[in-house]
Amino acid sequence: MMLMSIISKELKIILREKGNFFFLIVMPIFFIVLFGSIFSNTNSSFNVPYIDLDQSDSSKAFLSQLNGIDGFELEKVANEQNHIDQIEAGNSSSLLVIQEDFEETIASGIAKARLKFYQDPTATQVVAPINAVLENIANAYREQKLSSAMRQLGLTDTETESILMPPINIEEINTSSTQVDAITQFVPGYTVMFVFFIMITMVRRFFKEKESGMLSRMQSTPVKPIVYLIGMWIPALISVLIQCTVLLAFGRIVYSLDLGNLLAISIIVICLAICSTGLGLALAVCVTGENQGLALTQVFTMGGAVLAGLWFPFELLPSFAQTIGQFTPQYWAQTGLQDVMVRGALAGDVWQGLLVLLGYGALGILIALSRFKQYIRSAIN
Amino acid sequence: MGFGVRINQFKEGDTLEKVLDIKQLSKKYGKKTALEGITFSVPEGTCFGLLGPNGAGKSTTMKILTGIVEADQGTAIILGMNSNENRLAIKQQVGYVPQSITLYEDLNAYDNLLFFGQMYGVKGSQLKERITRVLIQTGLLDRAKDKVKEYSGGMKRRINIAAALLHDPKILILDEPTVGIDPQSRNHIFDMIRSLKEEGVTIIYSTHYMEEVEALCDEIAIIDNGKIIIQGNLKELLEQHSDKSIFIDTDQIEILKQLPNVNKVSSKDDGWMIESDQPIALLQDILATCTEQGIEIRELEMMRPTLESVFLSLTGTSLRD
Repeated sequence: MMLMSIISKELKIILREKGNFFFLIVMPIFFIVLFGSIFSNTNSSFNVPYIDLDQSDSSKAFLSQLNGIDGFELEKVANEQNHIDQIEAGNSSSLLVIQEDFEETIASGIAKARLKFYQDPTATQVVAPINAVLENIANAYREQKLSSAMRQLGLTDTETESILMPPINIEEINTSSTQVDAITQFVPGYTVMFVFFIMITMVRRFFKEKESGMLSRMQSTPVKPIVYLIGMWIPALISVLIQCTVLLAFGRIVYSLDLGNLLAISIIVICLAICSTGLGLALAVCVTGENQGLALTQVFTMGGAVLAGLWFPFELLPSFAQTIGQFTPQYWAQTGLQDVMVRGALAGDVWQGLLVLLGYGALGILIALSRFKQYIRSAIN
Repeated sequence: MGFGVRINQFKEGDTLEKVLDIKQLSKKYGKKTALEGITFSVPEGTCFGLLGPNGAGKSTTMKILTGIVEADQGTAIILGMNSNENRLAIKQQVGYVPQSITLYEDLNAYDNLLFFGQMYGVKGSQLKERITRVLIQTGLLDRAKDKVKEYSGGMKRRINIAAALLHDPKILILDEPTVGIDPQSRNHIFDMIRSLKEEGVTIIYSTHYMEEVEALCDEIAIIDNGKIIIQGNLKELLEQHSDKSIFIDTDQIEILKQLPNVNKVSSKDDGWMIESDQPIALLQDILATCTEQGIEIRELEMMRPTLESVFLSLTGTSLRD
């Protein structure tokens, strides 16, 4: 009865606090939408500024071939020198110039047709793909030339194809049942990250109880300290469950995120809630001031987010960071959620992660229990 | 704990001479002594005032009585139960109103009272009835669904008291319950306390306002620097420890100094304070002398003995210092 009453009261207070709604729901949705939009936008293409001085059929055919490749768009430039100045000023990264004798040189078959490719050496991320595509087209022209020479020498089509066939073939196979994309990175990532912001809510609530004298007054009632502590903990746990449900449902509804096995997702979310609120409980009763609690939560949530690969794929982290990241609960939560969503894992397949999350939660609760008497004493005196 | 056994000691109709009896209670916070062997008792059904300046040890005493703080030494027998051994049983029969307003400001008064009632183990229709009753007592029934943060300081104080009444306590302990409120709310609180006393609730009222003790309490103890200076019936203490005196504003004080029954004359404000063992006889003499000799009296007043003068005579300092 007393426990239910504390839970009910605490839930009312947490749900009515607008700051909680903002930190636990609005902020993560904002980040999911922001980063999801930026990184899931597959329309991004490389602009290839060019000048066709030849204006021949061959040069047009070359440009048409380049324009036909996905991700590359041609941009006609009027003045060569002006654009070179733009590159030097850092306003453009490259310029392709087809020389006047392009068609003539190709037709002769003796000399090499000349293409000038001006590039900004500092813009390798943009220039390198264009360079690679130009090399590919040049290779295709060479293959064409070889093929025609072989036929003239009397080789059959099959023999020509056989000679020109690359010795290595790379076969691309996706091992996941669903494709890993920005949404399967950011929805679970920002859900896990912002789940740990419940620690701020808990620190605030505990300090308010302490400073208002409520905790002291509770000692004059028949309520046992353990009942009070559990009563303060469970509403935070429920808040995290609501938060995860809203954020994952948002991903499902807005981005058609495949959640995978719902039972497995639910079990991970419950373990994550126990973990985050258990640690929040420990923090709330251990820190000496509210600001200290807020600062530590920021360090834990932000640092954990980076090291656990919540903002970008874990594999992109340096090896030392990956080693540290594996000690964070965020890593195990994110890995577990992605395993279920992307790789079709069930709860049994992510048992290690569940144990780690529960372990952290249990550790937090044990610390809170051992420190709670001291915390009450500090509230009374 | 023997909770049930202890409760059975107090059957309906039983009367107790002392509901509270504390002996040699001491408490230190680190090196600072808060209480130094205090001893006092409270008769059943009275309003007992614990009077003392800030930092005298009143709040510590209240917290020990309510089980919030443990005493280092001494015993506190509350409703016949030792406070160290029967903490839970005592908590169920004692209501505590702390000095600070401890309410949930984002919840309405009804929800606050519901919460506190449940904390004392009251539930169901009984709790609802009691909430309605205390809301009537506080005069806030029509504001029950308003958030506490929308209340005035005085209204919050009233709800703060109401929250300690929901389990029908035998003893109500109030720690400076009128700090920072308007006279109207103070009077409302006084009426509540008088009404509770009439219902048989023993009130223990801690304050540093002498006027409040004089207005409410039958029995008092004065505490200073962690020690009880004196305890007893308010009227008897005033009788024993304060000088009886008459205040007069006149230009002819030298003539009046010669009258019989004048012990001491001292200046006060615009007039003179004349101390006397027989103030009524002296008052008659003053009136007769002034009439006969045509002495002008601008103001004449028989001074009531006050706790201020009691405190002054016992400690040598003013209570407000």
